[in-house]
Amino acid sequence: MKQTLQVLTVLLLCFHLVHAQETTISGTVYSLEDEESLPGVSVTVKGTTIGVTTNIDGQYSIDVPSDANVLVFTFVGMVKEEVRIGNRSTIDVYLSPNIEQLSEVVITGYGGQTSRKELTGASVRVDSKEITQRQVPRLDQALQGAVSGVSVTTNSGSPGGSSNIRIRGISTSGDNNPLIIVDGVIYDQAGLNALNPNDIESVNIMKDATAGIYGVRAANGVIIIETKKGKKNSKPQFRFDGYYGIQETSNQLDLLNASQYAILVNEAHLAGGRPLPFPNTQLGEGTDWQNEVFQQAPIQNYNFGMSGGSDKTTYDIGGSYFGQEGIVGGPKANFDRYNARINFTTELAPKLTFTNVMLFTHERTRTLPENGIGSVLYNTINAYPTEPLRQDDGRFSFLERVQDIINPLAQMENTFNQSIVNKITGKQELAYQINDHLKASGRIGYNYSMVDFDQFSPLAWFGPGKAPNTALNENLDPVQIAIGDPDEGGVLIDRGASVFESRTTFLDYVLEGFLNYDRTFNDVHNFSATFGVSFNEVTSRSLSGTAFNIPNNSIDLANVGANQAPGGFLNNVGGFRGIQRLYSQFLRAEYDYNKKYLFSSVIRRDGSTRFGPNNRFGYFGSGSAAWVISEESFFNSSVFDFVKLSASFGVVGNDRIGDFAWRGLLNGVGNYVFDGVIQQGVAIGRASNPDLRWETTQHTNLGVDFTMFSKIDASVNYFIKDTRDLLFVPDVSALLGSFGAGGFPPFVNAGTVRNQGLEVDLNFNLIERRDAGLSINYNFTYLRNEVLSGPDGFDFIPGSPFGVGGEIATRFQVGFPIGYFFGFETDGIFQNQAEIDNNPVTQPGARPGDLRFVDQSGDGRIDFGGDSDRTMIGSPIPDFIMGMNVNANYKGFDFSANIFASIGNDIVRNYERQQPFANRLEYRFDRWIGPNTSNEHPRETVGSTRNTVFSDYFVEDGSFVRLRNIQVGYTFPNRTTQYLGISNLRVYASSINLLTITGYKGFDPDIGGGGGPLSQGIDFGFYPQPRTFMGGLSLNF
Amino acid sequence: MKNILITFILSVFLLGISSCDSILDVDPLFTEDAESFFNTPEDYERALIASYDLLQTSYLTSWIGEMASDNAIAGGESVNDTRGLHDIADMNHGGVNDELQLIMRYNYTGIARCNFLFEARGQLENLPNEDRIYAEASFLRAYFYFELVRYFGDMPLIIDRRIGIDEATQIDRAPASEVYAQIERDLLNAVEHLEWTNPTVGRVTKGPALALLGKVYLFQEKFTQAAEVLDRVINEGPYSLLQFETSEEYTAMFTVNQEGNSESVFEIQYTGVQGGSFDCFVCLQGNISPGFNGIRNFVGPIYAPGFSYNLPTENLYNSFDPNDLRRDGAVLNIDAFIAAQPDPSAISFSVGGGGHTGFYNNKYIQRQNELGLPDQRLTSPVNYRVIRLPDVYLMAAEAHNRGGGNDGLAQQYLNNVRERVGLPTVNATGTSLTEAIWQERRWELAGEGLRFWDLVRTGQAAANIEGFQVGKHELFPIPQVEIDLAGGNWQQNPNY
Repeated sequence: MKQTLQVLTVLLLCFHLVHAQETTISGTVYSLEDEESLPGVSVTVKGTTIGVTTNIDGQYSIDVPSDANVLVFTFVGMVKEEVRIGNRSTIDVYLSPNIEQLSEVVITGYGGQTSRKELTGASVRVDSKEITQRQVPRLDQALQGAVSGVSVTTNSGSPGGSSNIRIRGISTSGDNNPLIIVDGVIYDQAGLNALNPNDIESVNIMKDATAGIYGVRAANGVIIIETKKGKKNSKPQFRFDGYYGIQETSNQLDLLNASQYAILVNEAHLAGGRPLPFPNTQLGEGTDWQNEVFQQAPIQNYNFGMSGGSDKTTYDIGGSYFGQEGIVGGPKANFDRYNARINFTTELAPKLTFTNVMLFTHERTRTLPENGIGSVLYNTINAYPTEPLRQDDGRFSFLERVQDIINPLAQMENTFNQSIVNKITGKQELAYQINDHLKASGRIGYNYSMVDFDQFSPLAWFGPGKAPNTALNENLDPVQIAIGDPDEGGVLIDRGASVFESRTTFLDYVLEGFLNYDRTFNDVHNFSATFGVSFNEVTSRSLSGTAFNIPNNSIDLANVGANQAPGGFLNNVGGFRGIQRLYSQFLRAEYDYNKKYLFSSVIRRDGSTRFGPNNRFGYFGSGSAAWVISEESFFNSSVFDFVKLSASFGVVGNDRIGDFAWRGLLNGVGNYVFDGVIQQGVAIGRASNPDLRWETTQHTNLGVDFTMFSKIDASVNYFIKDTRDLLFVPDVSALLGSFGAGGFPPFVNAGTVRNQGLEVDLNFNLIERRDAGLSINYNFTYLRNEVLSGPDGFDFIPGSPFGVGGEIATRFQVGFPIGYFFGFETDGIFQNQAEIDNNPVTQPGARPGDLRFVDQSGDGRIDFGGDSDRTMIGSPIPDFIMGMNVNANYKGFDFSANIFASIGNDIVRNYERQQPFANRLEYRFDRWIGPNTSNEHPRETVGSTRNTVFSDYFVEDGSFVRLRNIQVGYTFPNRTTQYLGISNLRVYASSINLLTITGYKGFDPDIGGGGGPLSQGIDFGFYPQPRTFMGGLSLNF
Repeated sequence: MKNILITFILSVFLLGISSCDSILDVDPLFTEDAESFFNTPEDYERALIASYDLLQTSYLTSWIGEMASDNAIAGGESVNDTRGLHDIADMNHGGVNDELQLIMRYNYTGIARCNFLFEARGQLENLPNEDRIYAEASFLRAYFYFELVRYFGDMPLIIDRRIGIDEATQIDRAPASEVYAQIERDLLNAVEHLEWTNPTVGRVTKGPALALLGKVYLFQEKFTQAAEVLDRVINEGPYSLLQFETSEEYTAMFTVNQEGNSESVFEIQYTGVQGGSFDCFVCLQGNISPGFNGIRNFVGPIYAPGFSYNLPTENLYNSFDPNDLRRDGAVLNIDAFIAAQPDPSAISFSVGGGGHTGFYNNKYIQRQNELGLPDQRLTSPVNYRVIRLPDVYLMAAEAHNRGGGNDGLAQQYLNNVRERVGLPTVNATGTSLTEAIWQERRWELAGEGLRFWDLVRTGQAAANIEGFQVGKHELFPIPQVEIDLAGGNWQQNPNY
């Protein structure tokens, strides 16, 4: 054996000597991604012109001079690899795909696509990898911090809760949702729940006027989502992904314990001249309501798929299950989703391609009351700690001292609802390649969804005088209702448990035909065009019923058919139908000269039933251009590899108002009671406006894209987005008489909102090697929002209320951001009576320990009855948002982290019930108790005080930095897994929302505005996003 | 094959381009259009019901009439709780006041709904009950205009037609005298065509029309005409005074069980069978007032918890003769009530940050046996007795006393009211009789939303209401927003 080795060594040395002048090196080049060999790869000796390319099997053989050190492997779409030769004669190389390359495909709609290099507008693509990496239930959550210009705020952290996606700011007091198109089918924001993020191939976001190809619906931007498709001529590939995790609340509030609470309540009563409720304040910790309400809850996702293709057909099919329980309420607040999906493309005949997309979704959601006065968390915060969780008899306690707060656990126990959505989404498309340059496509896309909602309201008793009581007393006896006059043949009947059931079906479809033309003249004149027509109809119908006296007060019998209501009294039914149509033609033309000078323009004509006959049709268009400077012959830079300037301008529309909003319909409510029975009258609903038209958004975008040192990609855009003719429901004069039930003023077009800002996307591909990689993506968005004008006689639109009693905290007003906070500015606290007496400003009712308000009007008096001393005290819109995404891998290990930051937004602390016996946050313990004890927190009192008027005392800085996701994975080496028939096996552990840095006192600073643009940043005890720890695996075979 | 396909595709496109715009001409499903509505008699009845609807917003006047006077404070959870009411109670109100804006909006909505009906008069030939329908609508329109003219003085008159959004910015305020003239015309029409009784409980009859007309005359100090119509109510109407022995009996007159009693001339109808939410008070079919007037956090017998609004003052309570059973009938002294119960320690309640007087409105208050569907504090079934027979008697007494000098009849009317609650008769004449009548009005009608208007129309407001400025507070300010929305041409009421 030893001898043999010696002989071999000698032979090798000889060999080396013989070929001292020139060495032949051979090997195979593979793609790192799928481990297939790569033909056509260029192999050169660094510093020389010696080069070959790989053959059909990816093999090469090259003669290199003896002094050569490095071989360079280059291939389009792959990262350039430089390999030291050493004394090897066989060198196999794996090339990794260049993820952020400029050749990345960006979809522009209606069969159009371009590359980032040739893009003339402001569009951006997010890849499937970036989405799946984040392991979030909904796509919108994956977009937070992913790219600039897209703001995602959460409406609720509850399972199935939605987000607000805002592209380049908020531009209207109405609907700001972007248009979402999945495989050519229109989705609404809520519909995103039906999508499994793992099924998504790419997300394309059109931010500027080039979205004008979608015309009257594109004003808020367009999101085009493509789901995964198979590849031609590939073997069937199976994949499985699954994870399981545990969620917990990311934050708990610092609330007073029983002793602290008793001290403060006593103090408040003393100040208000009332007897002390707690003779003994040594009450210990008391009940920690948050501990009782928050729980750990599971989250899980399993996803199975198969894809492949022959030379005529490709397919990608899959199924998935996602399940999430709530950190509040567990199974009472959960979301389950089952998905089945078939994507199938085949050549039916030469040049005739058929594409079929089918998605079936079954969703099941349960919710608890949230995000408002009376929600579970609002009750949890305000429930006082001196009350035990349960009474001696085992029932949940009543919290009798605060009438408007109920025991949150009793509330959860008595909440029963369920929403089931069954939805089929499909698209069938035929494309015919007429000749080399012309392609015709016709398609139908549709959504059919059936939403079944059930809600059971058992007889419940939350304590004396509680508003949500449905029973007469704690024995759960039913309330008796008089039908007619009992003296004249009327009857008294029991009102027992009730159930509400509704079924709403939605059908929408879009029929589209378009021609794509693409031709190059004289090798340098590239011309393409798209022309098409589109017809869209959305219909809905609903039937609902409420039935009373469900037997046994039992959820098991809770359906409308089981009701025992005498004579059917009390029971009632409802229903509605809706219809809307949109009919459009569009044309897009693009030209470039040798990929150096690029031009694109779009025009679209839209007709919509949403608008009056006088303004039914609109024309929208845009033009854009780009100049790739780096293609110029004079361009010579060792720093910049690529430089492009681009500009776009155009107008798009927003049609998001209700159907037939322009018509005066008799859908007002005018009911009155005759003979003790409600009589239905008719009244005019919304007043008519036949001139009603769409909102128009004018986009201006200037951009520069460049690549430096082959490692840094940058994209910088400056934009101005003016939205005019806002669809406004103005405050109209009382004289119009439109303020009855179901009556509304007409919609009018008036007002302008401007959003302007700067977007920066930076990509650093710091290390790109076969066994190691490091890339960092950073994006930054600066945005300024201002209402520029409103209709004549318009002062402001009142927004969201603060506290109880109708004080309005937010406004839409000229000269201010949308939904800014309007209230008193404070200037510390009156420390003693002398300060009040010597204050040049009279503040009615002020006492030592009260907040000192600023006299904005300068009239020497704080005017609590008017608005003259109220001013802007905050804005819910951040000054800037940032995202940072880090990806690293070494050998089999990978690591990723997503960080999101929102800076400069304010939040209104509106979850404190300002009542003597409601619990308080711990900061209240630092209140004023005598001269110079506090200049921040006012005194406690149950007496009359203006300290609870809406002021900056209740406005907090809501800035935060959050580690959205951090993940560590390990991919087993191929050689160990292939014995199991597995081509790829990766395991990972990750955490969502592991860390949040913020000064905000509430549960969660990432708070959207579920109630619309004027209720952003108002915190009613927001359902926080959970912190999740999960482990998972993905395997391919 | 290929040619067929191309032909097919191109024809699809041509179809698309050629005018298919007509597919956008769709009508909304299953809803009626305002422009082509009145086709059957039922349509008129349904439009009339919608006009009645706005009567139910009178809860606001039932509060403001008390809070603005010396009878009650605003109360509530805090001084920010319904801020507009606190400002009014403190005589601190200005051009920014949501509650006053609601008064204006609600009443003009009622007027617009009546006008929608008047606009369609004659569109249907042989409309059965046409006179009755329009008599009821006339009453309602007069009721709404009377609210507006009391609150704001000169107000735009829109009669028998709807106005568009542009016209709304060009209408001037009509002098109060013209508004009153229109109210009188409408009420005279109602009186002429309405019967004394109507089998449908809740419909307006001749009695309310005459009584409201009398009140309208009295506000204008047209004493002779007032006396004439009010006498008709007393002499011809199907009403009679009741007799009371205890405070409890007197209070019971305001409960659900005694709705439509013989003293009740006009009631606004409410029911508790439809739930409600805080989003939309105008949508409610229940009466908000009892729930809001209720005792905060109350745990104990008879009463149910509420929001401690509209709290009677000590001044009102002490103004009563202690022997007057109406004192405890109209005002609940909470401490005395608790002390009188078998187990006072089992009873608890709390005070709101908006103020506490120790007294509650005992006529309209949340009681355990009068709860509606959730939210039950919004849906009390208790009707609001807007015009009661004692009010008519006292108005008639005042008209005879101040107008014709028929003090004998005035005395008789006054004493009829007093005797029924066991009080001694009054023998005064002349201005001291006037004083006695006014004083009696405060006691008899306490808590019913009339006090402020009585003080203003009789010139006693400055003497009785703290902070009341003569020449200013007789009228409420028109909400500044409404001035702006109406084109900005109106002059604000004096001194605001």
